[in-house]
Amino acid sequence: MSQEIIDIVQNYLTPNIPITLVSQGAEAVVFTTHVHPYLPQDSNKTGETKYIIKYRPHKKYRHPVIDQQLTKKRTLGESRLLAKLYQIDGLKVPKLIACDQYNGCIWLEFLGSQLPDNNGFSNLKHFLWWNKADPYNNVVKESLLKVGQQIGILHWNDYVHGDLTSSNIVMVQDKLGVNVWNPHLIDFGLGGVSNMVEDKGVDLYVLERAIISTHSAFSDQYVEWIMQGFSQVYEQHGATGEKKLKELLKRFHEVRMRGRKRTMIG
Amino acid sequence: MVDLNTISPKNGRNYYIALGLEGSANKLGIGIVKHPIKSQLSSGDNSHQCDAQILSNIRDTYITPPGEGFLPRDTARHHRNWCVRLIKKALKEAGFNDPSNDIDVICFTKGPGMGAPLHSVAIIARTCSLLWDIPLVGVNHCIGHIEMGREITKAENPVVLYVSGGNTQVIAYSENRYRIFGETLDVAIGNCLDRFARTLKIPNHPSPGYNIEQLALKCQNKDKLIELPYTVKGMDLSMSGILAYIDSLAKDLFRGNKQNKLLFDKKTGKQKVTIEDLCYSLQENLFAMLIEITERAMAHVNSSTVLIVGGVGCNVRLQEMMAVMCHDRANGKVFATDDRFCIDNGAMIAQAGLLQFRMGDIVKDLKETIVTQKFRTDEVFVSWREK
Amino acid sequence: MIQTTIPQFPDFTLKISLFKDVINSAEIRSKIADYPFAFIDAKTICSVEQLMAALYRVFIEKNYNRIRTKSLTSECLLCLAPTSNIGEAFRRFGLKDDTKEVICVQIIPTEDLPLDEVDISSLIDGFEVDMNDEHLKQFCDKNIIREIYKFDASFQPNSIEEVTRAVVSAIQLRGM
Repeated sequence: MSQEIIDIVQNYLTPNIPITLVSQGAEAVVFTTHVHPYLPQDSNKTGETKYIIKYRPHKKYRHPVIDQQLTKKRTLGESRLLAKLYQIDGLKVPKLIACDQYNGCIWLEFLGSQLPDNNGFSNLKHFLWWNKADPYNNVVKESLLKVGQQIGILHWNDYVHGDLTSSNIVMVQDKLGVNVWNPHLIDFGLGGVSNMVEDKGVDLYVLERAIISTHSAFSDQYVEWIMQGFSQVYEQHGATGEKKLKELLKRFHEVRMRGRKRTMIG
Repeated sequence: MVDLNTISPKNGRNYYIALGLEGSANKLGIGIVKHPIKSQLSSGDNSHQCDAQILSNIRDTYITPPGEGFLPRDTARHHRNWCVRLIKKALKEAGFNDPSNDIDVICFTKGPGMGAPLHSVAIIARTCSLLWDIPLVGVNHCIGHIEMGREITKAENPVVLYVSGGNTQVIAYSENRYRIFGETLDVAIGNCLDRFARTLKIPNHPSPGYNIEQLALKCQNKDKLIELPYTVKGMDLSMSGILAYIDSLAKDLFRGNKQNKLLFDKKTGKQKVTIEDLCYSLQENLFAMLIEITERAMAHVNSSTVLIVGGVGCNVRLQEMMAVMCHDRANGKVFATDDRFCIDNGAMIAQAGLLQFRMGDIVKDLKETIVTQKFRTDEVFVSWREK
Repeated sequence: MIQTTIPQFPDFTLKISLFKDVINSAEIRSKIADYPFAFIDAKTICSVEQLMAALYRVFIEKNYNRIRTKSLTSECLLCLAPTSNIGEAFRRFGLKDDTKEVICVQIIPTEDLPLDEVDISSLIDGFEVDMNDEHLKQFCDKNIIREIYKFDASFQPNSIEEVTRAVVSAIQLRGM
């Protein structure tokens, strides 16, 4: 991680907001802090609560025009999307706390936890790795069905994520059940509104590919469970749902075939 | 445990010699590579430091007139016409006059690529194999690029950006396979540039992409950028829409379509945009997308090094952008090779083939030498690397 | 009264007070331009978080020189609003002649804090109560909030927290 970027962010936030680097993704640097951006600290919220600060740094490699457009588009897009998605019944996304559109910085609710025995942060990737010894256990199955349902609800409401990977799904332990995990979708920088089957098909294809490349040995079953959960959402909506589902799955298959066929001419 | 030294070289020598034949697209490449026996290769993940010597690496490119692409049939004919001359020349350069004694293995491209040219080269490989009684190894073209790149740059475990006329892939190694993390959802980057070059009717020599790069350098309005669609989808990308759009702009420019306000001033009708501007904007846009998906893969697998391979990898601007991106990541580093190894060549097929050969993976029956147009990078079991 | 600063903008201190049974709203309104305060109708505010989200936004706008009203205090009203219509924001969030519950916000440069002697309670004829979520919840009118922030008919919040969440998003996203 380049210290330069950390310094820029720390300088922007002032020393009053101590930050810890969580990850340097491709387009955003993610920090956590215990300081709420605006709520008085002595209010009934405990100081233990963590917040996510997501900063989209200037990317020197790309042309300034492209850079500014993308940073603005994605910061706004993500904030806007989170605000809308939150209002959809059953969909679980982090809460938007603050947005500084001028500087590509947003504050979000912190989700997830550390998995037991140093198995890393509870995103789906680590969660599945953590369960590697018994990859097809019931908890995994239930969790992946729920992952599928989340994506199903998203697509049913005509939204797409744009970057579905096992790192962009956070598993949050249920308050009541010790081994019950509720997947939350995060990182909507490439997301948007779309009612096109193509976009949804690509969304699913991107996820399938991510699962295959990161969880190769068990990917068939994993993808099957996800798709099962996904289909359930559509099937709940009767004949219209079934029809849309059929159309979507057909396109998903087509996108996948396009992928296979593509390898031509070295 | 990977032991690359179990198969003994011919005639009790302490080195291996591989002849590589490549012809999956419009380039016919013949290369000869020598690997000394090295004790470090008996264990560990050291297949990127074989101390390979390139004894010869020659290439002949089938160049078509401006505005035309290469057709499979004509390309295959080109390869057939040149192969004997090129092989003779390569052997001479390497100082060999008795191939059946000098060469341990003949490596040829099994795919992916255009059927007819692949087929011609496979026939040449079979003929040489039978003629000189040398075993054959069929090589995946993409793996050839990756292994040559690793050997030349000594990058141990990089994320690989493979950009060529037919492929655009972001690859990372895991559990004996080069896995594809991101790729194009439609046309390849090289193909996109080639097709735009055809619209512009600029020469195909030395390569269309190179000529676009040169035009882009001459762009006078680098502050202004023509806005093009930016279509990154996760770790994948799509380029057909961009191509169609910029193609239409170029056509409007040639036709002098004053209706197009992006290209011509609304009042005076003066041309605002040049061919150079189009080339510049296209490159900036496409490359920004490539770098972004590479960075996404790096973040995903937690890697800080990148290796660029494939013909488009020669592009200096692409390498420059990649270096800047890597610099902003922890200890990031970019590895790239020059045009001798970036562009399709025989040595890379010899390098990957020789690794395969040293792991005992040879063609046992000529039936196995059938070529295939579709041959995904992750189909190959990479036995020469540690799990 | 709450006295606080926003961590990212320590140069300013905020004093926020809440009054009930106010009887001189009309009088305050007539002299509103003379006072260095923002007076807000508490019916429109459901939680401390809602108000603070707007104040945070005031400073973000200030940081980039994008203040659109006359002062930081008037910008508070605009920043509460879901749209950039200044007149409407004042009308919606500002005092009406018959407003009974009033939130009063003072923004003071932190270095001038020792000099600040304005006694807000002398201006307002009413009872000061603790500025907290409990009171705000009691005073707010969910239907007015629903109308101001134009919630979808399908959005049926079950709690004040859910209303807050929707409102905070609207505040943060205004004009985007």
